[in-house]
Amino acid sequence: MANAATQSSCRVERLYPSIDWEGDEVLVLGIESTSHTFGVGVASSKPPYILSEVKDTYIPEKGGIHPREAASHHVSVAPNLLLQALDEANVSIKDIDAIAVALGPGLGPCLRVGATIARALAAYYSKPLVPVNHALAHIEIGRLYTCLDDPVVLYVSGGNTVVAAYAKGRYRVFGETLDIALGNLMDSFARDAPLPDDIRPPPYVRRGMHVVDICAERASKPASLPVGVVKGQDVTFSGLYTAAVRASRRQRVEEVCLAFREIAYGAVVEVTERCLVHTGKRQVLLVGGVAASPVLREKLAAMTRYHDAVWGAPPPRLAGDNGAMIAWLGLLNYLKGITCSIEEAVVRQRWRLDDTPAPWRV
Amino acid sequence: MEARRHPRALEGVEPIYEGAEAYLYPVTWAGRRALAKWRPPKEYRHPAIDAEIRRARTIAEVRGTLHALEAGVNAPAIYYVDVDDCIIFMEFIEGVLLREYIDEHGASTRVLELAREAGRQTALMHSRGLVHGDLTTSNMMVTGSGKLYIIDYGLSGHAKTEREKAIDVHLFKRSLESTHPEYLEPLYNAFLKGYAEEAGEEAARRLDHLVEEIRMMGRYVEERRRRKP
Repeated sequence: MANAATQSSCRVERLYPSIDWEGDEVLVLGIESTSHTFGVGVASSKPPYILSEVKDTYIPEKGGIHPREAASHHVSVAPNLLLQALDEANVSIKDIDAIAVALGPGLGPCLRVGATIARALAAYYSKPLVPVNHALAHIEIGRLYTCLDDPVVLYVSGGNTVVAAYAKGRYRVFGETLDIALGNLMDSFARDAPLPDDIRPPPYVRRGMHVVDICAERASKPASLPVGVVKGQDVTFSGLYTAAVRASRRQRVEEVCLAFREIAYGAVVEVTERCLVHTGKRQVLLVGGVAASPVLREKLAAMTRYHDAVWGAPPPRLAGDNGAMIAWLGLLNYLKGITCSIEEAVVRQRWRLDDTPAPWRV
Repeated sequence: MEARRHPRALEGVEPIYEGAEAYLYPVTWAGRRALAKWRPPKEYRHPAIDAEIRRARTIAEVRGTLHALEAGVNAPAIYYVDVDDCIIFMEFIEGVLLREYIDEHGASTRVLELAREAGRQTALMHSRGLVHGDLTTSNMMVTGSGKLYIIDYGLSGHAKTEREKAIDVHLFKRSLESTHPEYLEPLYNAFLKGYAEEAGEEAARRLDHLVEEIRMMGRYVEERRRRKP
Protein backbone atom coordinates (compact mmCIF):
# COMPACT_ATOMS: atom_id res chain seq x y z
CA MET A 1 0.00 0.00 0.00
CA ALA A 2 2.92 2.28 -0.70
CA ASN A 3 1.76 5.71 -1.65
CA ALA A 4 3.15 6.43 -5.08
CA ALA A 5 1.74 9.95 -5.30
CA THR A 6 4.26 12.59 -6.21
CA GLN A 7 2.18 15.22 -4.47
CA SER A 8 1.12 14.96 -0.89
CA SER A 9 -2.61 14.80 -0.41
CA CYS A 10 -2.43 14.40 3.35
CA ARG A 11 -4.30 16.61 5.70
CA VAL A 12 -1.49 18.34 7.59
CA GLU A 13 -4.00 19.29 10.28
CA ARG A 14 -4.22 15.62 11.16
CA LEU A 15 -0.46 14.94 11.00
CA TYR A 16 0.43 18.08 12.95
CA PRO A 17 -2.63 18.99 15.04
CA SER A 18 -0.88 21.52 17.29
CA ILE A 19 0.33 23.72 14.43
CA ASP A 20 -1.90 26.55 13.27
CA TRP A 21 -2.26 26.01 9.51
CA GLU A 22 -4.82 28.77 9.05
CA GLY A 23 -2.51 31.79 9.16
CA ASP A 24 -0.64 33.54 6.34
CA GLU A 25 1.56 31.46 4.06
CA VAL A 26 5.00 30.71 5.49
CA LEU A 27 7.88 29.81 3.17
CA VAL A 28 11.09 28.07 4.23
CA LEU A 29 14.17 27.36 2.13
CA GLY A 30 15.97 24.15 3.09
CA ILE A 31 19.56 23.12 2.44
CA GLU A 32 20.77 19.51 2.53
CA SER A 33 24.49 18.69 2.40
CA THR A 34 25.08 15.94 4.96
CA SER A 35 26.70 13.46 2.58
CA HIS A 36 27.06 12.97 -1.19
CA THR A 37 23.97 14.99 -2.14
CA PHE A 38 23.66 18.75 -2.19
CA GLY A 39 19.98 19.62 -2.34
CA VAL A 40 17.77 22.67 -1.99
CA GLY A 41 14.02 22.83 -1.55
CA VAL A 42 11.29 25.32 -0.74
CA ALA A 43 8.40 24.35 1.53
CA SER A 44 5.15 26.21 2.10
CA SER A 45 2.56 26.07 4.86
CA LYS A 46 -0.11 25.88 2.14
CA PRO A 47 -0.78 23.06 -0.36
CA PRO A 48 1.04 21.61 -2.19
CA TYR A 49 3.55 22.17 0.69
CA ILE A 50 6.64 21.30 -1.36
CA LEU A 51 7.19 23.99 -3.98
CA SER A 52 10.56 22.88 -5.31
CA GLU A 53 13.20 20.20 -4.89
CA VAL A 54 16.51 20.27 -6.75
CA LYS A 55 19.70 18.37 -6.11
CA ASP A 56 23.03 17.22 -7.44
CA THR A 57 24.78 14.11 -6.19
CA TYR A 58 28.52 13.59 -6.08
CA ILE A 59 29.43 10.23 -7.61
CA PRO A 60 32.99 9.07 -6.96
CA GLU A 61 34.82 7.59 -9.94
CA LYS A 62 35.95 4.73 -7.78
CA GLY A 63 35.73 3.70 -4.14
CA GLY A 64 33.45 5.29 -1.58
CA ILE A 65 32.64 8.91 -0.79
CA HIS A 66 35.67 11.02 -0.06
CA PRO A 67 34.27 13.70 2.27
CA ARG A 68 36.56 16.47 1.07
CA GLU A 69 35.87 15.78 -2.60
CA ALA A 70 32.13 15.60 -1.92
CA ALA A 71 32.40 18.95 -0.11
CA SER A 72 34.15 20.63 -3.04
CA HIS A 73 31.47 19.20 -5.33
CA HIS A 74 28.83 20.83 -3.11
CA VAL A 75 30.61 24.17 -3.22
CA SER A 76 30.63 24.09 -7.01
CA VAL A 77 26.95 23.17 -7.48
CA ALA A 78 25.43 25.20 -4.62
CA PRO A 79 24.95 28.64 -6.24
CA ASN A 80 23.04 27.32 -9.25
CA LEU A 81 20.91 24.96 -7.18
CA LEU A 82 19.90 27.76 -4.81
CA LEU A 83 18.75 29.92 -7.74
CA GLN A 84 17.04 26.97 -9.38
CA ALA A 85 15.10 26.05 -6.22
CA LEU A 86 13.77 29.60 -5.84
CA ASP A 87 13.01 29.77 -9.55
CA GLU A 88 11.09 26.51 -9.63
CA ALA A 89 9.14 27.52 -6.54
CA ASN A 90 8.41 30.79 -8.30
CA VAL A 91 9.47 32.84 -5.29
CA SER A 92 12.23 35.34 -4.60
CA ILE A 93 14.61 35.12 -1.65
CA LYS A 94 12.72 38.13 -0.19
CA ASP A 95 9.56 36.00 0.11
CA ILE A 96 11.36 33.36 2.16
CA ASP A 97 10.56 33.52 5.91
CA ALA A 98 13.41 31.35 7.19
CA ILE A 99 16.50 29.43 6.10
CA ALA A 100 16.68 25.80 7.27
CA VAL A 101 19.80 23.69 7.19
CA ALA A 102 20.66 20.10 8.09
CA LEU A 103 23.35 20.47 10.77
CA GLY A 104 23.76 16.71 11.25
CA PRO A 105 24.24 13.83 11.38
CA GLY A 106 26.63 13.53 8.48
CA LEU A 107 30.15 14.01 7.15
CA GLY A 108 31.90 17.04 8.63
CA PRO A 109 33.31 18.63 5.47
CA CYS A 110 29.99 18.19 3.64
CA LEU A 111 27.92 19.53 6.54
CA ARG A 112 30.10 22.61 6.77
CA VAL A 113 29.32 23.60 3.17
CA GLY A 114 25.57 23.68 3.83
CA ALA A 115 25.99 25.35 7.22
CA THR A 116 28.26 28.07 5.81
CA ILE A 117 25.84 28.85 2.99
CA ALA A 118 22.85 28.88 5.34
CA ARG A 119 24.60 31.18 7.82
CA ALA A 120 25.64 33.53 5.00
CA LEU A 121 22.10 33.69 3.56
CA ALA A 122 20.58 34.23 7.00
CA ALA A 123 23.04 37.00 7.85
CA TYR A 124 22.92 38.75 4.49
CA TYR A 125 19.14 38.69 4.11
CA SER A 126 18.38 38.98 7.85
CA LYS A 127 16.36 35.76 7.92
CA PRO A 128 15.91 33.47 10.92
CA LEU A 129 18.02 30.32 10.82
CA VAL A 130 16.37 26.95 11.56
CA PRO A 131 18.47 23.93 12.64
CA VAL A 132 17.28 20.61 11.24
CA ASN A 133 18.17 17.03 12.16
CA HIS A 134 18.64 15.14 8.90
CA ALA A 135 17.17 11.84 10.17
CA LEU A 136 14.09 13.56 11.53
CA ALA A 137 13.66 15.36 8.19
CA HIS A 138 13.55 11.98 6.41
CA ILE A 139 10.78 10.87 8.76
CA GLU A 140 8.64 13.99 8.47
CA ILE A 141 8.72 14.21 4.67
CA GLY A 142 7.93 10.50 4.69
CA ARG A 143 4.86 11.13 6.83
CA LEU A 144 3.81 14.03 4.61
CA TYR A 145 3.84 11.83 1.50
CA THR A 146 2.37 8.66 3.00
CA CYS A 147 -0.14 10.20 5.44
CA LEU A 148 0.99 7.72 8.10
CA ASP A 149 0.21 9.42 11.40
CA ASP A 150 2.06 7.19 13.86
CA PRO A 151 4.44 4.77 12.14
CA VAL A 152 7.36 2.64 13.19
CA VAL A 153 10.18 4.07 11.08
CA LEU A 154 12.80 2.07 9.21
CA TYR A 155 15.48 4.50 8.05
CA VAL A 156 18.08 2.86 5.85
CA SER A 157 20.71 4.68 3.81
CA GLY A 158 24.42 4.75 3.10
CA GLY A 159 25.18 6.20 6.51
CA ASN A 160 22.23 5.23 8.71
CA THR A 161 20.33 2.14 9.78
CA VAL A 162 17.78 2.99 12.44
CA VAL A 163 14.44 1.64 13.64
CA ALA A 164 12.57 4.29 15.61
CA ALA A 165 9.12 5.08 16.91
CA TYR A 166 7.59 8.16 18.48
CA ALA A 167 6.95 8.17 22.22
CA LYS A 168 6.71 10.99 24.73
CA GLY A 169 7.93 14.02 22.81
CA ARG A 170 10.50 12.50 20.49
CA TYR A 171 11.35 9.59 18.23
CA ARG A 172 12.97 6.87 20.30
CA VAL A 173 15.60 4.67 18.72
CA PHE A 174 14.45 1.08 19.17
CA GLY A 175 17.34 -0.53 17.32
CA GLU A 176 20.17 0.46 15.04
CA THR A 177 23.38 -0.75 13.49
CA LEU A 178 26.27 -1.24 15.88
CA ASP A 179 28.80 -0.83 13.09
CA ILE A 180 28.15 0.02 9.42
CA ALA A 181 24.95 1.10 7.70
CA LEU A 182 22.96 -1.12 5.34
CA GLY A 183 23.70 1.01 2.25
CA ASN A 184 27.38 1.14 3.10
CA LEU A 185 27.37 -2.64 3.59
CA MET A 186 25.84 -3.23 0.15
CA ASP A 187 28.18 -0.82 -1.63
CA SER A 188 31.30 -2.08 0.17
CA PHE A 189 30.48 -5.67 -0.69
CA ALA A 190 29.76 -4.74 -4.31
CA ARG A 191 33.19 -3.10 -4.41
CA ASP A 192 35.15 -5.90 -2.77
CA ALA A 193 33.48 -9.04 -4.15
CA PRO A 194 34.27 -10.31 -7.66
CA LEU A 195 30.90 -9.41 -9.20
CA PRO A 196 30.31 -10.40 -12.84
CA ASP A 197 31.90 -7.94 -15.31
CA ASP A 198 28.62 -6.55 -16.64
CA ILE A 199 27.61 -5.27 -13.20
CA ARG A 200 30.98 -4.25 -11.77
CA PRO A 201 30.32 -1.00 -9.89
CA PRO A 202 30.13 1.90 -9.90
CA PRO A 203 27.32 2.79 -10.30
CA TYR A 204 25.96 0.67 -7.48
CA VAL A 205 22.34 1.08 -8.47
CA ARG A 206 21.24 0.32 -12.03
CA ARG A 207 17.68 0.90 -13.17
CA GLY A 208 16.51 0.95 -9.56
CA MET A 209 18.29 -2.25 -8.56
CA HIS A 210 21.45 -2.53 -6.50
CA VAL A 211 24.15 -4.53 -8.31
CA VAL A 212 24.22 -7.01 -5.42
CA ASP A 213 20.49 -7.61 -5.98
CA ILE A 214 20.98 -8.01 -9.72
CA CYS A 215 23.72 -10.54 -9.02
CA ALA A 216 21.51 -12.33 -6.46
CA GLU A 217 18.68 -12.73 -8.99
CA ARG A 218 20.99 -14.96 -11.03
CA ALA A 219 21.29 -17.56 -8.27
CA SER A 220 18.90 -20.42 -7.67
CA LYS A 221 19.95 -21.09 -4.07
CA PRO A 222 21.76 -19.13 -1.37
CA ALA A 223 25.31 -19.89 -0.26
CA SER A 224 25.92 -20.66 3.39
CA LEU A 225 26.84 -17.53 5.36
CA PRO A 226 26.68 -16.74 9.09
CA VAL A 227 23.13 -15.64 9.94
CA GLY A 228 23.82 -14.03 13.34
CA VAL A 229 23.30 -10.42 12.35
CA VAL A 230 20.53 -9.48 14.79
CA LYS A 231 21.87 -8.71 18.28
CA GLY A 232 18.95 -8.08 20.57
CA GLN A 233 17.26 -5.06 19.02
CA ASP A 234 20.31 -4.05 17.03
CA VAL A 235 22.10 -5.33 13.97
CA THR A 236 25.78 -5.75 13.27
CA PHE A 237 26.92 -6.16 9.69
CA SER A 238 30.71 -6.28 9.83
CA GLY A 239 30.87 -10.05 10.43
CA LEU A 240 28.51 -10.73 7.52
CA TYR A 241 30.56 -8.46 5.29
CA THR A 242 33.85 -10.21 6.05
CA ALA A 243 32.38 -13.69 5.69
CA ALA A 244 30.64 -12.79 2.43
CA VAL A 245 33.74 -11.24 0.86
CA ARG A 246 35.72 -14.35 1.76
CA ALA A 247 33.03 -16.71 0.50
CA SER A 248 32.70 -14.77 -2.77
CA ARG A 249 36.24 -15.78 -3.70
CA ARG A 250 35.63 -19.49 -3.14
CA GLN A 251 31.98 -20.01 -4.06
CA ARG A 252 29.63 -18.89 -6.81
CA VAL A 253 29.39 -15.15 -6.30
CA GLU A 254 25.70 -15.14 -7.33
CA GLU A 255 24.83 -17.52 -4.51
CA VAL A 256 26.86 -15.48 -2.05
CA CYS A 257 25.03 -12.31 -3.19
CA LEU A 258 21.67 -14.01 -2.66
CA ALA A 259 22.51 -15.17 0.87
CA PHE A 260 24.14 -11.83 1.68
CA ARG A 261 21.22 -9.64 0.71
CA GLU A 262 18.63 -12.01 2.18
CA ILE A 263 20.40 -11.98 5.54
CA ALA A 264 21.01 -8.22 5.51
CA TYR A 265 17.50 -7.16 4.45
CA GLY A 266 15.95 -9.85 6.61
CA ALA A 267 17.76 -8.48 9.66
CA VAL A 268 16.44 -4.91 9.33
CA VAL A 269 12.93 -6.17 8.62
CA GLU A 270 13.15 -8.41 11.68
CA VAL A 271 14.15 -5.51 13.95
CA THR A 272 11.29 -3.46 12.45
CA GLU A 273 8.92 -6.35 13.16
CA ARG A 274 10.11 -6.49 16.77
CA CYS A 275 9.49 -2.77 17.17
CA LEU A 276 6.04 -3.08 15.58
CA VAL A 277 5.00 -5.84 17.97
CA HIS A 278 6.66 -4.17 20.96
CA THR A 279 5.00 -0.77 20.44
CA GLY A 280 1.68 -2.12 19.16
CA LYS A 281 1.68 0.41 16.33
CA ARG A 282 -0.07 -0.43 13.04
CA GLN A 283 2.07 1.37 10.46
CA VAL A 284 5.58 1.19 9.06
CA LEU A 285 7.32 4.02 7.23
CA LEU A 286 10.34 3.24 5.07
CA VAL A 287 12.74 6.13 4.37
CA GLY A 288 16.34 6.72 3.28
CA GLY A 289 18.27 5.98 0.11
CA VAL A 290 17.83 2.20 0.43
CA ALA A 291 14.02 2.67 0.62
CA ALA A 292 13.97 2.49 -3.16
CA SER A 293 15.11 -1.15 -3.11
CA PRO A 294 12.32 -3.29 -4.59
CA VAL A 295 13.57 -6.33 -2.68
CA LEU A 296 13.47 -4.58 0.69
CA ARG A 297 10.02 -3.17 -0.09
CA GLU A 298 8.71 -6.62 -0.93
CA LYS A 299 10.00 -7.99 2.39
CA LEU A 300 8.51 -5.13 4.35
CA ALA A 301 5.19 -5.67 2.58
CA ALA A 302 5.21 -9.36 3.56
CA MET A 303 6.05 -8.56 7.17
CA THR A 304 3.39 -5.87 7.59
CA ARG A 305 0.76 -8.00 5.84
CA TYR A 306 1.40 -10.73 8.38
CA HIS A 307 0.82 -8.32 11.27
CA ASP A 308 -2.17 -6.70 9.65
CA ALA A 309 -0.28 -3.41 9.48
CA VAL A 310 0.22 -1.00 6.59
CA TRP A 311 3.44 0.39 5.22
CA GLY A 312 4.43 3.28 3.03
CA ALA A 313 7.39 5.07 1.57
CA PRO A 314 7.70 8.48 -0.05
CA PRO A 315 8.53 8.57 -3.78
CA PRO A 316 12.19 7.49 -4.28
CA ARG A 317 13.39 11.01 -5.05
CA LEU A 318 12.10 12.20 -1.68
CA ALA A 319 13.08 9.00 0.18
CA GLY A 320 16.76 9.63 -0.51
CA ASP A 321 18.60 12.77 0.61
CA ASN A 322 17.00 15.96 -0.69
CA GLY A 323 16.53 19.64 0.15
CA ALA A 324 12.72 19.52 0.28
CA MET A 325 12.75 17.41 3.43
CA ILE A 326 15.03 19.92 5.15
CA ALA A 327 12.70 22.72 4.06
CA TRP A 328 9.64 20.80 5.31
CA LEU A 329 11.08 19.99 8.75
CA GLY A 330 12.49 23.53 8.80
CA LEU A 331 8.96 24.80 8.30
CA LEU A 332 7.61 22.64 11.14
CA ASN A 333 10.43 23.75 13.43
CA TYR A 334 9.94 27.38 12.48
CA LEU A 335 6.20 27.21 13.13
CA LYS A 336 7.05 25.74 16.56
CA GLY A 337 9.49 28.57 17.25
CA ILE A 338 12.67 26.51 16.90
CA THR A 339 15.38 28.77 15.47
CA CYS A 340 19.02 29.38 16.30
CA SER A 341 21.47 32.24 16.12
CA ILE A 342 24.28 32.24 13.57
CA GLU A 343 26.79 31.45 16.34
CA GLU A 344 24.74 28.44 17.40
CA ALA A 345 24.48 27.02 13.89
CA VAL A 346 27.43 24.65 14.17
CA VAL A 347 27.49 21.20 12.59
CA ARG A 348 26.92 18.05 14.68
CA GLN A 349 28.33 15.02 12.87
CA ARG A 350 26.79 12.56 15.34
CA TRP A 351 23.55 14.34 16.12
CA ARG A 352 21.26 11.58 17.31
CA LEU A 353 17.61 11.30 16.38
CA ASP A 354 16.66 10.62 19.99
CA ASP A 355 18.45 13.80 21.09
CA THR A 356 15.96 15.87 19.13
CA PRO A 357 12.54 16.98 20.39
CA ALA A 358 9.59 16.57 18.01
CA PRO A 359 7.11 19.08 19.48
CA TRP A 360 4.89 19.17 16.38
CA ARG A 361 3.89 15.55 16.99
CA VAL A 362 1.87 16.46 20.07
CA MET B 1 -4.84 -11.12 9.65
CA GLU B 2 -3.86 -14.16 7.62
CA ALA B 3 -4.86 -17.58 8.83
CA ARG B 4 -1.92 -18.84 10.88
CA ARG B 5 -0.84 -22.38 10.48
CA HIS B 6 0.15 -23.69 13.84
CA PRO B 7 2.44 -26.71 13.90
CA ARG B 8 0.70 -30.05 14.17
CA ALA B 9 2.01 -30.70 17.67
CA LEU B 10 0.17 -27.58 18.88
CA GLU B 11 -3.02 -27.88 16.86
CA GLY B 12 -6.07 -26.69 18.74
CA VAL B 13 -4.06 -24.85 21.39
CA GLU B 14 -4.47 -21.08 21.50
CA PRO B 15 -1.22 -19.16 22.05
CA ILE B 16 -1.10 -17.10 25.25
CA TYR B 17 1.44 -14.76 23.76
CA GLU B 18 2.31 -13.79 20.20
CA GLY B 19 5.72 -12.17 20.09
CA ALA B 20 7.58 -10.94 17.05
CA GLU B 21 9.80 -13.99 16.99
CA ALA B 22 7.85 -16.74 18.73
CA TYR B 23 4.44 -17.83 19.97
CA LEU B 24 3.93 -19.27 23.44
CA TYR B 25 1.36 -22.01 24.10
CA PRO B 26 0.18 -23.37 27.45
CA VAL B 27 0.46 -27.15 27.23
CA THR B 28 0.74 -30.22 29.43
CA TRP B 29 3.93 -32.24 29.29
CA ALA B 30 4.07 -35.59 31.10
CA GLY B 31 1.32 -34.41 33.40
CA ARG B 32 2.96 -31.09 34.20
CA ARG B 33 1.94 -27.64 33.22
CA ALA B 34 4.39 -26.62 30.51
CA LEU B 35 5.09 -23.95 27.93
CA ALA B 36 5.60 -24.64 24.24
CA LYS B 37 7.57 -22.02 22.34
CA TRP B 38 7.27 -22.08 18.58
CA ARG B 39 9.24 -20.00 16.12
CA PRO B 40 7.00 -19.58 13.07
CA PRO B 41 8.44 -19.27 9.55
CA LYS B 42 8.88 -15.73 8.27
CA GLU B 43 7.59 -15.05 4.80
CA TYR B 44 9.96 -12.12 4.39
CA ARG B 45 13.02 -14.33 4.56
CA HIS B 46 14.33 -16.69 1.90
CA PRO B 47 12.96 -20.14 2.90
CA ALA B 48 16.40 -21.73 3.16
CA ILE B 49 17.79 -18.89 5.29
CA ASP B 50 14.63 -18.70 7.37
CA ALA B 51 14.89 -22.41 8.16
CA GLU B 52 18.53 -21.97 9.12
CA ILE B 53 17.86 -18.98 11.39
CA ARG B 54 14.94 -20.62 13.19
CA ARG B 55 16.83 -23.85 13.63
CA ALA B 56 19.97 -22.06 14.85
CA ARG B 57 18.01 -20.03 17.40
CA THR B 58 16.03 -23.03 18.63
CA ILE B 59 19.25 -24.96 19.21
CA ALA B 60 20.98 -21.93 20.75
CA GLU B 61 18.07 -21.47 23.10
CA VAL B 62 18.10 -25.07 24.31
CA ARG B 63 21.87 -25.13 24.62
CA GLY B 64 21.99 -21.75 26.36
CA THR B 65 19.20 -22.66 28.77
CA LEU B 66 20.91 -25.91 29.74
CA HIS B 67 24.27 -24.19 30.24
CA ALA B 68 22.59 -21.53 32.34
CA LEU B 69 20.95 -24.18 34.52
CA GLU B 70 24.28 -25.95 34.94
CA ALA B 71 25.86 -22.68 36.00
CA GLY B 72 23.23 -22.27 38.71
CA VAL B 73 21.14 -19.63 36.97
CA ASN B 74 17.37 -19.78 37.42
CA ALA B 75 16.14 -20.72 33.96
CA PRO B 76 13.19 -22.81 32.76
CA ALA B 77 13.86 -26.55 32.63
CA ILE B 78 13.80 -27.94 29.11
CA TYR B 79 11.48 -30.93 28.63
CA TYR B 80 11.71 -31.62 24.92
CA VAL B 81 12.84 -30.00 21.71
CA ASP B 82 11.48 -30.54 18.22
CA VAL B 83 14.26 -29.11 16.07
CA ASP B 84 12.49 -29.72 12.75
CA ASP B 85 9.39 -27.76 13.74
CA CYS B 86 11.35 -25.33 15.95
CA ILE B 87 9.30 -26.02 19.09
CA ILE B 88 10.70 -26.14 22.61
CA PHE B 89 8.68 -27.62 25.47
CA MET B 90 9.79 -26.15 28.78
CA GLU B 91 8.90 -25.43 32.35
CA PHE B 92 6.04 -22.97 32.77
CA ILE B 93 7.30 -20.06 34.87
CA GLU B 94 4.46 -18.26 36.58
CA GLY B 95 5.36 -14.62 37.09
CA VAL B 96 5.72 -11.12 35.65
CA LEU B 97 8.48 -9.60 33.56
CA LEU B 98 11.08 -7.67 35.56
CA ARG B 99 10.29 -4.68 33.33
CA GLU B 100 6.66 -4.73 34.48
CA TYR B 101 7.71 -5.32 38.06
CA ILE B 102 9.94 -2.21 37.99
CA ASP B 103 7.14 -0.22 36.33
CA GLU B 104 4.91 -1.12 39.25
CA HIS B 105 7.31 -0.88 42.18
CA GLY B 106 9.90 1.72 41.14
CA ALA B 107 13.36 1.48 42.73
CA SER B 108 12.08 -0.13 45.94
CA THR B 109 14.33 -2.19 48.22
CA ARG B 110 12.77 -5.29 46.70
CA VAL B 111 13.55 -4.13 43.14
CA LEU B 112 17.14 -3.25 44.07
CA GLU B 113 17.45 -6.74 45.50
CA LEU B 114 16.18 -8.20 42.20
CA ALA B 115 18.68 -6.11 40.21
CA ARG B 116 21.46 -7.40 42.48
CA GLU B 117 20.21 -10.94 41.91
CA ALA B 118 20.17 -10.33 38.13
CA GLY B 119 23.83 -9.25 38.38
CA ARG B 120 24.72 -12.30 40.46
CA GLN B 121 23.09 -14.73 38.02
CA THR B 122 24.66 -12.99 35.03
CA ALA B 123 28.07 -13.45 36.65
CA LEU B 124 27.32 -17.15 37.17
CA MET B 125 26.41 -17.48 33.51
CA HIS B 126 29.52 -15.60 32.41
CA SER B 127 31.76 -17.72 34.65
CA ARG B 128 30.89 -20.66 32.36
CA GLY B 129 31.57 -18.60 29.24
CA LEU B 130 27.87 -18.31 28.41
CA VAL B 131 26.61 -14.97 27.11
CA HIS B 132 22.88 -14.30 26.87
CA GLY B 133 22.84 -12.05 23.81
CA ASP B 134 19.61 -10.22 24.67
CA LEU B 135 19.92 -9.50 28.37
CA THR B 136 17.14 -7.01 29.09
CA THR B 137 14.55 -6.47 31.80
CA SER B 138 12.02 -8.00 29.38
CA ASN B 139 13.94 -11.28 29.45
CA MET B 140 13.85 -11.63 33.21
CA MET B 141 10.88 -12.83 35.23
CA VAL B 142 9.88 -12.47 38.85
CA THR B 143 7.78 -15.27 40.33
CA GLY B 144 5.14 -14.90 42.99
CA SER B 145 7.64 -16.03 45.62
CA GLY B 146 10.09 -13.36 44.45
CA LYS B 147 12.50 -15.63 42.61
CA LEU B 148 14.29 -14.11 39.61
CA TYR B 149 14.51 -16.10 36.35
CA ILE B 150 16.55 -15.27 33.26
CA ILE B 151 14.74 -16.49 30.15
CA ASP B 152 14.97 -16.50 26.34
CA TYR B 153 18.40 -17.79 25.33
CA GLY B 154 17.70 -17.73 21.57
CA LEU B 155 20.59 -15.33 20.90
CA SER B 156 22.97 -16.84 23.44
CA GLY B 157 26.43 -18.11 22.64
CA HIS B 158 29.85 -18.89 23.96
CA ALA B 159 31.97 -15.83 24.77
CA LYS B 160 35.41 -15.76 23.24
CA THR B 161 36.31 -12.40 24.76
CA GLU B 162 35.54 -10.38 27.86
CA ARG B 163 34.01 -7.79 25.57
CA GLU B 164 31.19 -10.15 24.62
CA LYS B 165 30.28 -10.46 28.29
CA ALA B 166 30.39 -6.70 28.59
CA ILE B 167 27.92 -6.45 25.67
CA ASP B 168 25.43 -8.43 27.79
CA VAL B 169 25.80 -5.92 30.59
CA HIS B 170 25.64 -3.03 28.13
CA LEU B 171 22.32 -4.41 26.79
CA PHE B 172 20.98 -4.68 30.33
CA LYS B 173 22.06 -1.14 31.10
CA ARG B 174 20.46 0.16 27.94
CA SER B 175 17.20 -1.61 28.70
CA LEU B 176 17.15 0.21 32.04
CA GLU B 177 17.97 3.44 30.28
CA SER B 178 15.20 3.15 27.69
CA THR B 179 12.42 1.92 29.96
CA HIS B 180 13.33 3.10 33.47
CA PRO B 181 15.73 6.04 32.97
CA GLU B 182 14.88 7.52 36.38
CA TYR B 183 16.16 4.40 38.19
CA LEU B 184 19.18 3.76 35.96
CA GLU B 185 21.87 4.52 38.53
CA PRO B 186 20.61 2.64 41.58
CA LEU B 187 19.53 -0.39 39.53
CA TYR B 188 22.75 -0.58 37.53
CA ASN B 189 24.85 -0.21 40.68
CA ALA B 190 22.87 -2.97 42.37
CA PHE B 191 23.41 -5.16 39.31
CA LEU B 192 27.19 -4.56 39.44
CA LYS B 193 27.21 -5.28 43.15
CA GLY B 194 25.55 -8.64 42.52
CA TYR B 195 28.00 -9.33 39.70
CA ALA B 196 30.93 -8.60 42.01
CA GLU B 197 29.60 -11.03 44.61
CA GLU B 198 30.11 -13.94 42.21
CA ALA B 199 32.91 -12.72 39.94
CA GLY B 200 34.89 -10.61 42.41
CA GLU B 201 35.30 -6.85 42.73
CA GLU B 202 38.15 -6.71 40.25
CA ALA B 203 36.24 -8.55 37.48
CA ALA B 204 33.17 -6.38 38.02
CA ARG B 205 35.27 -3.23 37.77
CA ARG B 206 36.95 -4.42 34.57
CA LEU B 207 33.55 -5.27 33.13
CA ASP B 208 32.15 -1.85 33.96
CA HIS B 209 35.14 -0.28 32.16
CA LEU B 210 34.45 -2.38 29.07
CA VAL B 211 30.76 -1.41 29.20
CA GLU B 212 31.82 2.22 29.25
CA GLU B 213 34.09 1.55 26.26
CA ILE B 214 31.27 -0.08 24.30
CA ARG B 215 29.01 2.87 24.99
CA MET B 216 31.67 5.14 23.54
CA MET B 217 31.81 3.24 20.25
CA GLY B 218 29.95 4.33 17.12
CA ARG B 219 26.47 5.13 18.23
CA TYR B 220 27.55 6.84 21.43
CA VAL B 221 30.34 8.95 19.99
CA GLU B 222 28.55 12.18 20.77
CA GLU B 223 28.86 11.44 24.49
CA ARG B 224 32.61 11.21 24.08
CA ARG B 225 32.70 14.50 22.22
CA ARG B 226 30.78 16.19 24.95
CA ARG B 227 33.06 14.89 27.60
CA LYS B 228 36.32 15.76 25.88
CA PRO B 229 35.58 18.90 23.93
